[in-house]
Amino acid sequence: MSELDENQIHDRLKRLSQIEPSQDAAERAVQRVRETISLPWATTRGRPYGLLPMMAKLAAAAVILIAAGVVAGRLSAPQVDTEQLRAELEASLKSSLEPAIRQSVLDEADRRWQSVFAAGCAELKDELAQQVRRDLTQFAAQSLTASGVQTQRQLRELIQLIEAARIQDRRNVEAALEHIESQFGNGLVTLAAHTNELQGPEQNH
Amino acid sequence: MSGRNEELLEYLDKSGAELFALLTRLTLRQDVAEELMQELFIKLSRSSGPDHKAGTWDAYARKAAINLAFDWRRRKRTPLQQLEQVPEPVSKDGSPLGGLIRCEELQETLDAIGRLKKASREALIRRYIQQESYEHIAEQMGATPHQVRAICSRAVNHLRVTLGSNHRQST
Repeated sequence: MSELDENQIHDRLKRLSQIEPSQDAAERAVQRVRETISLPWATTRGRPYGLLPMMAKLAAAAVILIAAGVVAGRLSAPQVDTEQLRAELEASLKSSLEPAIRQSVLDEADRRWQSVFAAGCAELKDELAQQVRRDLTQFAAQSLTASGVQTQRQLRELIQLIEAARIQDRRNVEAALEHIESQFGNGLVTLAAHTNELQGPEQNH
Repeated sequence: MSGRNEELLEYLDKSGAELFALLTRLTLRQDVAEELMQELFIKLSRSSGPDHKAGTWDAYARKAAINLAFDWRRRKRTPLQQLEQVPEPVSKDGSPLGGLIRCEELQETLDAIGRLKKASREALIRRYIQQESYEHIAEQMGATPHQVRAICSRAVNHLRVTLGSNHRQST
C-alpha cells in the first residue's frame, strides 16, 4: 500500500500550526462572544427562541386568573351578575395580556428574522468563496493551456528557422563546389593530358 | 449576570484568542472561525457538562471546538474541481496555482484528520497543530503521556496511509 513520507505529514501539520489569525479578527471574535454572552436569551438553557413556552406560561397565568375569578364569583354574594363579572374579567385579562403577547410575538419574529438573515449571510459567504476558488482554478488551467500553445508555436517557428538556415547552407556549399569545378576543371583535364604525354614514350619502349 | 457567565467571560479573556486560532487552523477561514466561536461559547454557557474548574473547563472547551470545526467541515463538503484535471505547472513555487495546491494539501490533511477517531484526532491536533506537550495533553485527556505518544504515532501512521492513497490516485 502506498504511504506518504512521514516528513511530509509533519511538514503539513507544521504548516497548519503556523496559521495565525489576524489580531483584528481575534479581537472582533472575542468581542462578539462577549456581547453574545451578555444577552439573557443566549445563555438560557433549552430552546432559545421558543415561543410555545412563553405562550404556555401566559396561558397558564390566564387560566389561573380566570379560575380565581370564577371561584371568587361563586363565593361572593348571589346578587353579583356573573355575566358582568365575566365580561369585566375578560376585558381585564385582554387589556393586561394582549400587549404582552403582541410584544412577545414581535420579539420572536425579530429574533427569527435575525437568525435567518445570519444563516443566509454565512451561506452566501460559503458560496462566494467556493465560486472564487472555482474561478481561480479555471483561470490557472486556462493560463497553463494558453502558455503551452504559445510555447509550441514558438518551437515550430524555431524549427522552421533552423531548417531554412540548413537549406541556405547547402546551397552555399553547392555554389562553392560549382565555382571550384569551373575554375579548376579545365586545368585538371590539361594536367591529365600532359601526364599521358609524358608517360607515353616510356610506355612505347 | 450569573456566576457562570462571569466564569465564562473570564475564560474568554484568558483563552479566547487561542481558541479562535485553533478554529481558524481547523477551518482555514477566519469568518467561519468567528461564527464557530459564537456557537462554542453559547454551547459552553448552556452545557451542564463538567464542573468547570479551570482544567476541565479548558479541556471541555477545546474538545468542543475541535468537534464543532470538524462538524462544519463535514457540512460544507462540496465537490470541487480535482487538481489532477489541471495540467502540471513548470514551477509550483510562488505561483497562484502553487498556492492553491498548498491550500488544497492542507484541506486534504484536515479532511484526513477528520476521519480519525475522536480521541486520536484530539491528541494529534493538540500535539502537532497546537504544539502542546504530551504531559499537558495526557493530563487533560485523563491518560498517561506514554499512551498519548502511542495515540499520536498511530494517528500519524493512519494519515500516511490515507494521504498516501490519495496521492497515488492523484498521480
